[in-house]
Amino acid sequence: MPGVAQQAIPAAHNLPERWSAVMDDCVVSIAWSPDGEHLSAASASGSVCIVNVESGSLERSFQAHDFGATSVKWRPASEEIATAGQDGRIRLWNPHSGELLHELDGGSAWVEHLAWSSSGTHLASAAGGKLRLWNPNGSLAREYPQHPNTIAAIAWRPNASELASACYGQIQIWRPDSDQPEKALQWKGSMLALAWSPDGQYLCHGNQDATVHFWIVRSAKELQMWGYPTKVRELAWDRRSRYLATGGGSQITVWDCSGRGPANTKPIVLKYHEDLLSQLVYQRNGPLLASGCIGGRIAIWEGKNRQPLFTAAMPSAIAQLAWSGDGTRLCVGCEDGTLTVLETSESPAAARR
Amino acid sequence: MEALVENDDPRVPVTILTGFLGSGKTTLLNRILSEQHGKRIAVIENEFGEVGVDQELVIGAEEEIFEMNNGCICCTVRGDLIRILGNLMKRRDKFDYILIETTGMADPGPVAQTFFVDDEMQTKLRLDGIVTLVDAKHVWLHLDTSNEVKEQIAFADVLVLNKTDLVTNDELEKLESRVRAMNRAAKICRSLNAEVEIANVLNVGGFNLGRAMEVDPKFMEPEYPFEWRGVYTLPSGRYTYCLKRGPDPAMNIALLPVGNVRTHNAQASVMDAVLLFSEDAIAVSPNETIRPGRQLHRLALTEDSQNFTFAVDAPGAYALYTQHKPEEFQAALFSDSSMACPVEEKDFKPDHEHDDEVSSVGITTPGDLDKKKFNKWMSELLRNQGTDIFRMKGVLSLKGEDNRFVFQGVHMLFDGRPDRPWREEERHNQLIFIGRNLDRARLKEGFHSCLA
Repeated sequence: MPGVAQQAIPAAHNLPERWSAVMDDCVVSIAWSPDGEHLSAASASGSVCIVNVESGSLERSFQAHDFGATSVKWRPASEEIATAGQDGRIRLWNPHSGELLHELDGGSAWVEHLAWSSSGTHLASAAGGKLRLWNPNGSLAREYPQHPNTIAAIAWRPNASELASACYGQIQIWRPDSDQPEKALQWKGSMLALAWSPDGQYLCHGNQDATVHFWIVRSAKELQMWGYPTKVRELAWDRRSRYLATGGGSQITVWDCSGRGPANTKPIVLKYHEDLLSQLVYQRNGPLLASGCIGGRIAIWEGKNRQPLFTAAMPSAIAQLAWSGDGTRLCVGCEDGTLTVLETSESPAAARR
Repeated sequence: MEALVENDDPRVPVTILTGFLGSGKTTLLNRILSEQHGKRIAVIENEFGEVGVDQELVIGAEEEIFEMNNGCICCTVRGDLIRILGNLMKRRDKFDYILIETTGMADPGPVAQTFFVDDEMQTKLRLDGIVTLVDAKHVWLHLDTSNEVKEQIAFADVLVLNKTDLVTNDELEKLESRVRAMNRAAKICRSLNAEVEIANVLNVGGFNLGRAMEVDPKFMEPEYPFEWRGVYTLPSGRYTYCLKRGPDPAMNIALLPVGNVRTHNAQASVMDAVLLFSEDAIAVSPNETIRPGRQLHRLALTEDSQNFTFAVDAPGAYALYTQHKPEEFQAALFSDSSMACPVEEKDFKPDHEHDDEVSSVGITTPGDLDKKKFNKWMSELLRNQGTDIFRMKGVLSLKGEDNRFVFQGVHMLFDGRPDRPWREEERHNQLIFIGRNLDRARLKEGFHSCLA
């Protein structure tokens, strides 16, 4: 049965835990409501739950997809969520009533990526080589030309109507009003994750071949960072577009993009985790970086400080991390289904901020 | 001990099923699924055949081949598998087994390499083996022309010669020796309707370093100095061995008494003959007489047609070993005017004209290796010939090390580690390369130059 059950778990070290619950399978995606009062989480079995953050009570839980869910995204400034699954479907829901508002066809067996534009006027979906753009009323706004390979990642440029899609061999940048890509960046390799800097100047991707690639979008100049022990899927930009934190191993490599950029600089290396990193995420409006690894450890870092400010231990591999909009809470989703919210509001770092 | 380690391995085993269209992949797949009832098996299919797979969890995927270029190592991997398997492994209700059915035209190389290059896959999954189905009749249409068929045979840990009802026993023997020459490391089984013992195709440990050399004894089958053996039951008397002109002006033969045809020890007789063929031959001219026994004879075959006489004193079974195949010289044995037919015959080599571009080179050598020299040789070899080396595995005796060193590789990807200590058995090196255009002499020479 899908859903959550309250369960006591070992207390996190150092970081106070607000509540903890357990989903029926690995937490594959987490989304905060715009007001930070609710959380939505999707599991590998296809269930989705809506939790009241303050009380930790389960408001709703439903089977959103038959085989498995891949993504849940809360529409900006709205009471609506979009979910995608391995049943080829995208569904729009009223999270509070659980009412299905619209059902959309992703165009291929697995819909793997969803992204709302920053204003919430468009929802982009990627399934196999199909990239589709939807209106919130469920109508198809546009179908972009078939990609030659499965789309590995999509990302809206912050505060812009430009959508980047990555598949093996190239990144394309699309606009809602045209079938033709505005820009195509060729790179012969398998990309796994895309990350725009908040100022929209840099577009980065982490790769299967254990490298990280930077594009300065305006000039289409590129930089490559190599020497990672393993493939890089964890990428996080800090709010000022200065630091790019990258995974690809058990240590965090932070590139400083200030001044002349990261070329020929030595990155900051943050060591705490003993297992491969699985998540890296900066606060949207604060300086803190949260990291999680497959060994179930979480660490919170600030700036160039090489010692974590806080750490926490979870019962299984960290699958998802998501800061609340105001940065006072960190939601953690684990491989065994554990869903926890940790408080950072009373922390000294938050006070310093 | 090694079996224990394997059982304790928490990783989910993966078997790759390859084979040309119509070779019976889906039949085998359905057989495995029905016989392994109760186990959670996920199937990833790259093509949906005419026959459906009877299983709830079947994931269709389009082959996506990605090139990866990391320093001096280039390889191709299957992006679709990394993505799908990564997704599947997130689920709590893990699978007991994963089967990947490739398309008929798939190159197994990228599939195998996928399991070497991705850490996430390596921590959660264990590539168990590559099983290749071969349509015993129709494979001949493609064996000489299709690179895919050759690669699928060369990569296999298990070769299933299927649809045996469509061919005669001789044809099957011929096919087996042909594929054996291409891939000496594979287990070969024969089947009708893909009916094989599940234990022969699942959990075979094909990529298990600890079991790297635990293969069919035929694996190290020597190169025989003869191509054919016929066993005859001969009453005492004189026989005429007639040969026409052939590709060689002379040929070595041996006629060995083997006692009773039913009880004769074929393997011992072969070893006897191998030794005999390494000795000096006595030249025999046409019309001269040959007596059975431990003697190698070199027949002069310079005429259009020539006869030799076999003088058999004691009735019994005799094995005739010939350096070339009888058909190359239209050779036949006559008693008076009737032809004597062998009660049993065996080819020891595939046809010469099929000196396949895909072959296996096995090396077995006593002595210790110099680590530095070996590393240098191996990295040069992989750099220059990695694309042509499909698979390799071996056990090495390194100078100064008490433990065996085991390794395996796919193309340029090399994986090795120290294994258990050498037991009382003599330390030795044993390795095999399977690949395209392998130069046996050069490989052997290169390897020997690494001895300390």
